[in-house]
Amino acid sequence: MSLKTKLLLLITLGIAGSVGTVALLIEERAHEAFRNIELERTATLVDQFHREFQHEGNEIIHGVESIANSDSMLRTAMELSNGADVGAYVNEAQNYAQAQRLDFVDLIAPDGTIISSAHWPARFGYKQRWFLDRSGPLPQEAFLRHVETAQGNVLGLLCIRPVKTHGADYYLIGGRKLDSVIQTLSPPAGLRVSIYSSPEQGQGEILGAAKDSVPLDKIMPLIQDAMQQRDASKTIDWGPGLLQEEIVHAIALPGFSPDRVPAVLLVGNSLQEELTLEKRIRNISLVIAGLGVFLGVLISGIITTRMSRPIRDLADAAAEVGHGNWGVRVEQSSKDEVGRLAAAFNHMTEELMAQRERLVQTERVAAWRELARRLAHELKNPLFPLQITVENLLRARENTPEQFDEVFRESTSTLLAEIANLKTIVGRFSDFSKMPAPQLQSVDINEIVRAVVQLFQAQLTQRASKIEPDVQLGQVPPVSADPVLLRRVIENLVLNAIDAMPGGGKLTFRTAKDDKFGIFELADTGKGLTPEECERIFTPYYTTKQHGTGLGLAIAQSVVIDHHGRITVSSRKNQGTTFHVELPLADGMGLEEKKTNAAGATS
Amino acid sequence: MKLSRSRLIAAASLLVALCAIASASSRPRYGGTVRILLHERFNSLDPLGDDDHPAARDRVCALLFDTLTQMDAQGRAHPRLAASWRADSGNRVWYFNLRLANFQDGSVVTAPDVVASLTHRNEGWRVTPVDQQTVRIEVPVGIPHMPELLALSRFSIIKRSSDNSLVGSGPYKLNAWQPGERVALSANDDYWGGRPYPDNIEFQLGASLRDQLLERQLGQYSAADLAVDQLRPLEQGNQNVQLSRPSDLLVLLFLQPDALASSARASRKPVDPRVREALSNAINRNAINNVILQKRGIPASGILPQWLTGYEFLFPGGTNLDRAKELRSEAAGLVIINPIALAYDFSDPVAKLVAERVAVDAREAGIVVQPYGEPHVANKSARAGMNADAVLLRLPLESVQPAVALAAALDDMGLADPTTAPLNAGRLEDVFELENKSLADFRVIPVAHVSEAVWLNNNVHNWLQGPAGDWNLDQLWTEGGR
Repeated sequence: MSLKTKLLLLITLGIAGSVGTVALLIEERAHEAFRNIELERTATLVDQFHREFQHEGNEIIHGVESIANSDSMLRTAMELSNGADVGAYVNEAQNYAQAQRLDFVDLIAPDGTIISSAHWPARFGYKQRWFLDRSGPLPQEAFLRHVETAQGNVLGLLCIRPVKTHGADYYLIGGRKLDSVIQTLSPPAGLRVSIYSSPEQGQGEILGAAKDSVPLDKIMPLIQDAMQQRDASKTIDWGPGLLQEEIVHAIALPGFSPDRVPAVLLVGNSLQEELTLEKRIRNISLVIAGLGVFLGVLISGIITTRMSRPIRDLADAAAEVGHGNWGVRVEQSSKDEVGRLAAAFNHMTEELMAQRERLVQTERVAAWRELARRLAHELKNPLFPLQITVENLLRARENTPEQFDEVFRESTSTLLAEIANLKTIVGRFSDFSKMPAPQLQSVDINEIVRAVVQLFQAQLTQRASKIEPDVQLGQVPPVSADPVLLRRVIENLVLNAIDAMPGGGKLTFRTAKDDKFGIFELADTGKGLTPEECERIFTPYYTTKQHGTGLGLAIAQSVVIDHHGRITVSSRKNQGTTFHVELPLADGMGLEEKKTNAAGATS
Repeated sequence: MKLSRSRLIAAASLLVALCAIASASSRPRYGGTVRILLHERFNSLDPLGDDDHPAARDRVCALLFDTLTQMDAQGRAHPRLAASWRADSGNRVWYFNLRLANFQDGSVVTAPDVVASLTHRNEGWRVTPVDQQTVRIEVPVGIPHMPELLALSRFSIIKRSSDNSLVGSGPYKLNAWQPGERVALSANDDYWGGRPYPDNIEFQLGASLRDQLLERQLGQYSAADLAVDQLRPLEQGNQNVQLSRPSDLLVLLFLQPDALASSARASRKPVDPRVREALSNAINRNAINNVILQKRGIPASGILPQWLTGYEFLFPGGTNLDRAKELRSEAAGLVIINPIALAYDFSDPVAKLVAERVAVDAREAGIVVQPYGEPHVANKSARAGMNADAVLLRLPLESVQPAVALAAALDDMGLADPTTAPLNAGRLEDVFELENKSLADFRVIPVAHVSEAVWLNNNVHNWLQGPAGDWNLDQLWTEGGR
């Protein structure tokens, strides 16, 4: 994966992550804001309910007190206490209830016997003692309680007042259904109010408009929490066909007895609007995020292209340097780190060039010094006999002519020999300097090896210390080489090996191949080389022999390198030395060879 | 002291004049219109047909149509259209001799007319004319009280014309008829018993309690029938109120006979007899009588009132809540006890209150009774299709002859059984046995006997109300006449 792709991916991920985080934060904030609004709306509605509850309670108190304090009621109570027939008053409560617009009115005797009941006229004569059994004074405020009617228990807001007589007190209980309180509420859109009525006996039920749309099984846990005298709220999914999700707050409503909650106020806040808005915000966030990511990718693509181009140029230039092109330069397009890197790269290549130049010059000087040393050494050896011979010749002129002639003949012969020797030395140096460029062609290395072996066969076997050749030729495809130069290399290596085995031994010729190269190895069983000698063996004019120019292996290395090959040496002291030559396979022949191999494999 | 002659003459003249005035105010006068308010509505004037309020209808029909006989307050039969009658020794064949009378269309009442009318009733009797003035009635089983039976309005002699209009021979002729609203009658000048005093009698039907009070206060009406809960303020206001003896029967009637228990076609299963008995034990009849009926009735344990038969006290009718609970528990171990749907006349507030009280009392015994208002509770044919387990009926006492009264009551309840027909009972003991048998399975649970009440304007005279609450308006006259 390229740097540009990595950068692009990284920036894209960064942008997407950032935009996603922002979108999430917005959604979370929006959710929180909606929840706050919902809580405020609920609190407002609950306040309104409590106000209406209080207002309704005050109206009921007023109505009941009006009845209790009316002359007719006082007269009725007096008559009853004087033993009047209670049957005559069985319809009294209904008249009072109509007059005060009350749903419930009970006129009750001191012993709790119902004298008249507006909401259940037929219940006269039965006892109603729940308020008489209470310890402490009667409550002055209105309170919630379930009222028994012919239709069942009905949740009512009630007030109780005594009607004073000279004897025991009569009682008047009046009230209204709690439904009417709910009906007076005007909840804003999305809110709804209902009351769960929990009678002491029998099943509870939901009052209000939501009666048929609230599945009790889903809301009962919440109601039970509220019945434990603590307010509770819960998000309830009503399921398909209903109002979907709704936050329902359950608030316990206290009743006549402090030990028991007769009803729970349920305020439902539909999440439909909130969910719709949240969905819209989410969609907008997604669109913005998508656009942001798209633009981010686009811009980051441009930026990364611009950012990565100098780096890519640097990488290309570095590769060029790796290939030996030290003169490559990169453009310094900016002053940032990349620009400084480009400048440093250019400076580095310039330094490399300078150092190479200096190295070359140093090596050249060293080479010249070595050449001079070798030349001096090589030339000094023939010069000394020449000097001696000339001095002998000069001294011989004082001898007899015969003696002089003899000395002259010997001296001239010596001079000619040494001059010939000098010519040979000069010729070798001339050959080294005139190393020709190889004429590459497809060459069978095994054939050359065989020719060399044949050439040296007699020399190897007919000497006093016999050297036994061992030829191990493998299947080697043709190599790309100059046959003349390659043969000279092998001959040179053979001559060195012969020199290395003055006491005889075994000389092994071995050929092989790998993927790209044809391989030739020549191993002797001579005295071997030290590691230091191995390092310097290919240095021109370096030799371990008493009489050598030190150019043979240098020439061999030069030839192999000119063939784009490689020559190495490995040796172990007193065990022998092995030269390892790799030459590139000829392409065409290589292909052919490969085809042949492939055909063999398929057959 | 010695008075002068002239002063004596003047005093005598004044005395004569005062006597004349007093005599004039108490002497019946012809003319005038008697306006009567009835709080119940009826939609037919045929006494043989079913109606939602047959008792109110029969009050009007008694003025339009004659019967062969009529009853006095002591339960004795007297001639009406029939001048005389005789029977064979087994009371199976009866002969009725008709008096000379005309229908209101001018035609003479003949034996074939009577035969046609009685045959229309289709009691299974063989009715034949002997001659123009004699009718022979042959019944399968002897009926000792045939004359008392024929005094019932359901045996009115009616000539039915081809257009289905009804013509009677009563003292009043039909002048105007708006079903359910108003009936206007005019005096029949040719009535065999003599022209009635008022020129007209008008009935206003379905007047609400509020309307009645308003109309009475206006004084435009001569009379109004009253519910018991209306009596107290009127009596306290010294208004003229006439009360009958506690005659009407307030009764719970279970509609499904036990024989239908195994019938899959029955819309509702019969209520278990133990539950019915439990309900009878649970009902606090005294509370109903004392409070709801304002002590204008008596707790009932039988179909016929104690004052009529003398044996009602023999039937158990007290409240026994423990026994009721015991019976209910017993029944619950054997059958599923469903709520009892109790229908009452929705136009009768007293019936509503009684039904609700029954429900309250039943609740104490663990029995659920669901009262609801129905417009056709008293209509026998409508009851057959009613989706109720029981109905609360107010049945008038149609005769002061116990056997006839029991037969009429059972017939009104749809419980008439030819094999146990009380009409065949000659003795009171037989009537008791039959009534006891009718009450044994608690399909009929008597609640109270209630008095009939009527308010009368002071300008109305000779308004006679029988012990059973029936109206005898033969001698009725009003001061607005000539």
